[in-house]
Amino acid sequence: MSANAGGILASFDYLDDTLGAIRQLRDGGHTDLTVYAPLPEHHIEEALGYKQGPVRTWTLVGGLTGTATGLAFTTWTAMDWPLVVGGKPILSIPAFVIIMFEMTILFGALATVIGLFINARIPNPRPLVIYDPEYSGGRFGIYAPAAGGSLDDARKILESHNPVELREDTEGAHA
Amino acid sequence: MTDGIKRRDFLKVLGVSGAGASMAGCSTDDVEKLLPYVVPPEEITPGVATWYTSVCGECAAGCGVWVKTREGRAIKVEGNPNHPVSAGALCARGHSAMQGLYDPDRFAGPMLRENGILRPISWDEAETMLTERIQGAGGRVLAITGKTGPTFGELFDNFLSGVGGSRVEYEALSEAPLREATRIAFGRNVAPTYEFAEARMVLSFGADFLESWISPVEHTRGFARMTSTDEYGSKGTFVFLGSRLGLTGANADEWFPIAPGSEAAVALAMANVIARSGGRDAGPYREVLQAYTPESVAAASGLDAESIEELARRFADAAPAVAVGPGYAGHHANATAANLAVLILNHVAGNVGRTVHLRAEDRAAPVAPFTDLQSALGRMSGGDVQVAMVHGANPAYSLPGEANFASAFGQVPFKVSFASTPDETSALADLILPDAHFLEAWGDSNPREGVYSIQQPVMERVPHFDSKQTGDVLLSVAARLGQSLGGATFYEYMRSEIGQIYSDRGLGSDFDTFWRETLKDGVFILPNAGDEQEMLRSPDAALSFDAPGFTGEDREFFLQVLPNSRLADGRHANKPWLQELPDPVSKMTWHSWVEVNRHVAEEMGLETGDMVRVSSPHGAVEVPVYSYPGIREDTVALAMGGGRAGSGRFAVQAAKGSVNVMSLLPAQTEQPSGALVLQSTRVSVEPTGRRYKVATIEGTDQQHDRGIAPAMTLAALTHADDDHAEDDHGEGGHGKLQELQAIGGFVPVETEGRAEDFPLPGAQYGDYDPESNARWAMAIDLDKCTGCSACVTACQSENNVAWTGESQVAMGRDLGWIRLERYYETVDATHAGPVDVRHLPMLCQHCGNAPCEPVCPVYAAYHTPDGLNGQVYNRCVGTRYCANNCPYKVRVYNWYTYQGEEPAFEGLGHAPEPLNWAFNPDVTVRTNGIMEKCSFCVHRIREVEHRAALEDRRIFDGEVVAACQQSCPAEAIVFGNIRDPESRVAQVAQNQRTYRVLNELINTQPAVHYLQKVVLHEVEAGGH
Amino acid sequence: MATATDKHRGSLTHPDVGTYKQVNDEVLKVLSKPGKGWWALLALALAGVGLFFTSWAIQIVKGIGVSGLTSPVGWGVYITTFVFWVGIAHSGTLISAILFLFRAPWRQSVYRMAEAMTVFAVMTAGLFPLIHVGRVWHAYWLIPYPNSRYLWPNFRSPLVWDVFAVTTYFTVSAVFFYLGTIPDTAAARDRATGWRKTFYKVAAMGWRGTDREWHHFGKAYIYLAALATPLVLSVHSVVSWDFAMGIVPGWHATVFAPYFVAGAIFSGVAMVITLAVPIRKIFGWENYLTVKHFDALSKLILLTSLIVLYAYLTEFFMAWYSGEPPERQMFWNRLFGDYWWATWTMLVCNGIVPVLLWFKRVRHSISALFVITIFINIGMWFERFVIIVTSLSHEYAPFAWGVYRPSFVEMGIMVGSFAWFGFWFLLFTRLLPAVAIAELKEVLPLPYRPQAQEGGAD
Repeated sequence: MSANAGGILASFDYLDDTLGAIRQLRDGGHTDLTVYAPLPEHHIEEALGYKQGPVRTWTLVGGLTGTATGLAFTTWTAMDWPLVVGGKPILSIPAFVIIMFEMTILFGALATVIGLFINARIPNPRPLVIYDPEYSGGRFGIYAPAAGGSLDDARKILESHNPVELREDTEGAHA
Repeated sequence: MTDGIKRRDFLKVLGVSGAGASMAGCSTDDVEKLLPYVVPPEEITPGVATWYTSVCGECAAGCGVWVKTREGRAIKVEGNPNHPVSAGALCARGHSAMQGLYDPDRFAGPMLRENGILRPISWDEAETMLTERIQGAGGRVLAITGKTGPTFGELFDNFLSGVGGSRVEYEALSEAPLREATRIAFGRNVAPTYEFAEARMVLSFGADFLESWISPVEHTRGFARMTSTDEYGSKGTFVFLGSRLGLTGANADEWFPIAPGSEAAVALAMANVIARSGGRDAGPYREVLQAYTPESVAAASGLDAESIEELARRFADAAPAVAVGPGYAGHHANATAANLAVLILNHVAGNVGRTVHLRAEDRAAPVAPFTDLQSALGRMSGGDVQVAMVHGANPAYSLPGEANFASAFGQVPFKVSFASTPDETSALADLILPDAHFLEAWGDSNPREGVYSIQQPVMERVPHFDSKQTGDVLLSVAARLGQSLGGATFYEYMRSEIGQIYSDRGLGSDFDTFWRETLKDGVFILPNAGDEQEMLRSPDAALSFDAPGFTGEDREFFLQVLPNSRLADGRHANKPWLQELPDPVSKMTWHSWVEVNRHVAEEMGLETGDMVRVSSPHGAVEVPVYSYPGIREDTVALAMGGGRAGSGRFAVQAAKGSVNVMSLLPAQTEQPSGALVLQSTRVSVEPTGRRYKVATIEGTDQQHDRGIAPAMTLAALTHADDDHAEDDHGEGGHGKLQELQAIGGFVPVETEGRAEDFPLPGAQYGDYDPESNARWAMAIDLDKCTGCSACVTACQSENNVAWTGESQVAMGRDLGWIRLERYYETVDATHAGPVDVRHLPMLCQHCGNAPCEPVCPVYAAYHTPDGLNGQVYNRCVGTRYCANNCPYKVRVYNWYTYQGEEPAFEGLGHAPEPLNWAFNPDVTVRTNGIMEKCSFCVHRIREVEHRAALEDRRIFDGEVVAACQQSCPAEAIVFGNIRDPESRVAQVAQNQRTYRVLNELINTQPAVHYLQKVVLHEVEAGGH
Repeated sequence: MATATDKHRGSLTHPDVGTYKQVNDEVLKVLSKPGKGWWALLALALAGVGLFFTSWAIQIVKGIGVSGLTSPVGWGVYITTFVFWVGIAHSGTLISAILFLFRAPWRQSVYRMAEAMTVFAVMTAGLFPLIHVGRVWHAYWLIPYPNSRYLWPNFRSPLVWDVFAVTTYFTVSAVFFYLGTIPDTAAARDRATGWRKTFYKVAAMGWRGTDREWHHFGKAYIYLAALATPLVLSVHSVVSWDFAMGIVPGWHATVFAPYFVAGAIFSGVAMVITLAVPIRKIFGWENYLTVKHFDALSKLILLTSLIVLYAYLTEFFMAWYSGEPPERQMFWNRLFGDYWWATWTMLVCNGIVPVLLWFKRVRHSISALFVITIFINIGMWFERFVIIVTSLSHEYAPFAWGVYRPSFVEMGIMVGSFAWFGFWFLLFTRLLPAVAIAELKEVLPLPYRPQAQEGGAD
């Protein structure tokens, strides 16, 4: 896709500029925008029109798997070599519930993390080229890729929201 | 051969005939022929035990024993059921013979002391040296021995008369006063034998006949039969008259705390009452009786006339009854008179010949009393002795300091000791000729006329020690002296002696068969010749029946010197099993203590563990106090056997905290018997302000309303069941109850927790099939149990239970699988009245719903299909959760490795070569970090199961015998399969006295059933 | 993780804190070369760690006997300290997860410290089960693995529940903690130099702060919090069942689970304050850890202390009301027996001292809070000691009653465990931002263009 490689990266000091730029870009039909923020900011998510994500499914499936594993494991090991202790039944379900519970939490939590990594694409080994250290400090950034719409148009819109910096990216090294 | 016991006999026959085969040349030079590997193959089937009969040599009682050997090593001593004295039981001291045999401190061989240092020499050199010295002694040869076997004593005397010497027999614990009294009264120099079982009432004038006096095992058996309650609710009474309750007194129903020295007066006053009211005629003692009326002795004894009168009448009515005593501890300056008075009482009450048996004089020469020894001491210090030989006695330790034995002995130019382990006397000797242990040597015993047992070697001499039985030494020395005493070895000598009796008594013509049979049975019994009715004879010696004088009159306490119920006179001090066996009374181990009345202690601001200085005019010792309700306020008691710093490593260890009470005594002689006076002085007790960390296993002596050891009144027992149901409600009786059963506790069922309730509805024990399996269970009759603690040591020997050392016990880390609990209910020294001390052997209860099992994370504790509470040592990780959760606290933990060659720290339990030879190969030896507990002798159960399987039959009831049960002299323990309604344990479990500890509180469904003690006095509701 | 609604913005931090950049600078400045003081503390901690492992080594070589443990008291200082640390571990996830779900805006400044504390506390607690078993070389037998005989652990044993609960708790807390740090390590990465840069580069996993990352991150964080919350409650319940499942008088009580959870939060929050006070001082974070935060935390302490006190009283009442001699005797023994001093220390520190927190002046005096929380930490250690030791020393069988005295080895390990914890915490303060940078920004005023401020977000 060398035809429309690269993109344009704009940095902003103020949230309202950023939000304005985002909205205008999206109105202008630009897609695949990447917005950098130093904090989780729901205004940005709203502006980008995010909906409920898929991570919760991971959590649910992981948790249920844990429950099932816990039940199956305790039951099987108890039956595998039935040993009586304290006159209690071989299948002491109340005791096994605790194991099941812990397994639910454990599997659920690990599944959630995996879900996060896959969806958020981290760990992300690619070099930080289209990036500004200030994004983790006080600045916001918007990256409009060529693939998402005409760069000239994007530049005009971004400039109109007085960015502190505007950077062309030719190689398209961005994630 | 379907019965296991028979089979065991069969093995013994083989064993014995095997031994017989090698007997021909059974002298020490080729004793190797006794090595089990040259006897028939059955002998050495690996893993199969071989049993030999012998005689216990730990005390003078002469219990017949069976010794269990495995692959040629003796591993356990058990009572010989064929023997009239032991009848299958044995005491703790008997069991500990193993630790005497394998005592790591035994002399490695003959030793010669040269300028203070012992150097090993050969037996040949040694014997030559002894021979020359005796030749040079010109008849000035002296031998000091303890009580010997009859034949050996005879041999020794023959030997000495051959060389013109003489022998003195000395025992600190001597029956001389009793023998002398019997001689005076009936013309027989014997100790009577007492049939407690026949009596309906027992009076003890201070005699501790259950722990130390004459023949404890036999007495305990008889006493238990006397005192236990039969179906018809009749029960013998035991009244104790004395200043201090020992193990014996603690088992009394009533206690008359009479003043020390007043036994004779009280006995005569009672005899007087009985004689006046139609008792037998006192003959020559009529006048004496006149002088002693209840009124006249009331003041001296501290008892009011009425109670004496009343007691006398009860004693007469109860006939046959028996009066015994005073015991060793009561050996005051008028001991013979006191013994005589008691004999008179027995005579007047018509007990002689019924419960008190006089026998013809036995072959065992009466122990010559202290007077002889004193004159011997005189001869020694006078330089009149050239060669002194000491055998089986330790006068340097066991004589009062004032006897100055050491200096007198020091005057002898050549001193020979036959001690097999170092002791205070051998430390003074020039030549040491270590005697063989009684389990390695031949000998015989004649505890009383008519009872003859052969003591045969059960194994080759322990190879670590080049010992030689003294009999053989004497014979070989005699040979070197050119004398022939008959027989080249002691074995031959003894065999011919027995042959002599055989022919004299006209027992038959085939001596060889007789001999083999005797070895097989371990005993042969002849009809008692001399038990006809005796008339009293008039005294031929001056006697005073009044209280004797005491030295140190100005001091406030009488001193009672106790024969130590574990260490006797100290001879067992190097046996850690006994050192760590809790004393039946104080429950203390290892160290000494002085018993002080609890009120007095409080007044003096003393409590258990406070160090006090006990001083008599003759010496002083510092010991911790045991605050004891069971002793008169004007008396303190100290046990013998401490402070054996001159003995082996374990005794030395114990000596750090123990004292030799003999140092408090004067060298006083009782007349006319000439025995050493033990109760001779008064002492003062001063606090030192220091404390001693007492090594006791006791948490508290009160039950705190737990109903651990409840009791029933005889009334409640004989009443209709509905009464007694109320009586023991709430103390583990049979009130119907709703119990949550094993199905996860979801299904409540009604049960009485009785035998027939097994398996409890709902308690299917998971997948186990209740029909197909046994449910091993035990029943312990607390009405019989005396608390003697024989079971504790038996268990220790059977199950390789480690000893841990004083510091550990003081921390609470003793490992006993059986904890003999002792609770004081009614004990009051201030006036005569009922006494109620409860003893309860607490062992793993093998609960059906065991709290210890489910908490173990690794299944080390689990339930076996036959109802045992299994403990898998190898699986144990050591979380100790099971012990925390055990309501009976019977799980013990290996805090260190207590059975290694080396202790983890100085003074901690360990098993150095060859002590570890005593381990039972059928039981795992535990190491650091492992939980252990009573296994119901599971290895014995499995052995019987395998045998039954091989012989394709079911297991007979009573075929499986737990070690504690086997050893119990009181016959208090029953073991078996409670699922079999016919089994004895199932029957006993249905007795109306049966209860299970804590079961109604926490529904553990224990397999151990206890039968409540029955008391004659009223107990508060609930029995505690 | 948009927790703070706009009305909170700026209300919880000092007015001096204006821009996002300032937060980065002030928080990240401490991630630099430590001073002498820090090194001194580290040396002290390492000495303690040495003591810890030396004592343990002695015990392993000689045997568990070097402890003062005995029959009947098979559990003592080790289990006491175990429960103590597990308890400490609770406030972290509580503050982090539960307050997060409840949208409590004041958590931002303290939760990072609390979570770190949780992780290190569990790392400490986790060692004690190993220390206290008699054969530590076989401790792995508690873990289910297919051994040669296919004998699995006994899942009816509360100790096995412990293994599962504690390992789960450690894993989840560690993950939760680590995820939270990612945006901040990214921030650190963007400013650090030298080896630290490499370190943060790896730690940040290439975090850029893009919209996608923030979006999924936020969701995942909520679900983790939702899972962690019941986990917190379950873990200390399971720990309490180590005792409640036993039949020991003084242990066998249904109140134990809530009682222990409350106690855990009580001690944990107290420990947070104990740690936050000096950090606030040393790092000069008065602007971030304001009196408002401490006030909120002390109210939490006050609440839990009331619950704990109520539990104490309930126990005594039930013992009396049950009428069972063993129960009654045991609780009597607690108050007046061999260990009366421990019991009264517990009652005073946990029941009486927190009463001071009713007063606003006390809640607002940082130094007072510091002292009070130290008392609470002591009191909570003794609470566990009392529950374990007094109960075991006077159980059903009176003849087997006994007394337990801790040995030097036990004390060495107990003290050493604090050093072990401190060691990790010291490293934490210098390697990771002890205050959550990104989340702190959420409570700052949004950066709107000055003149456009009225317009806000159009």
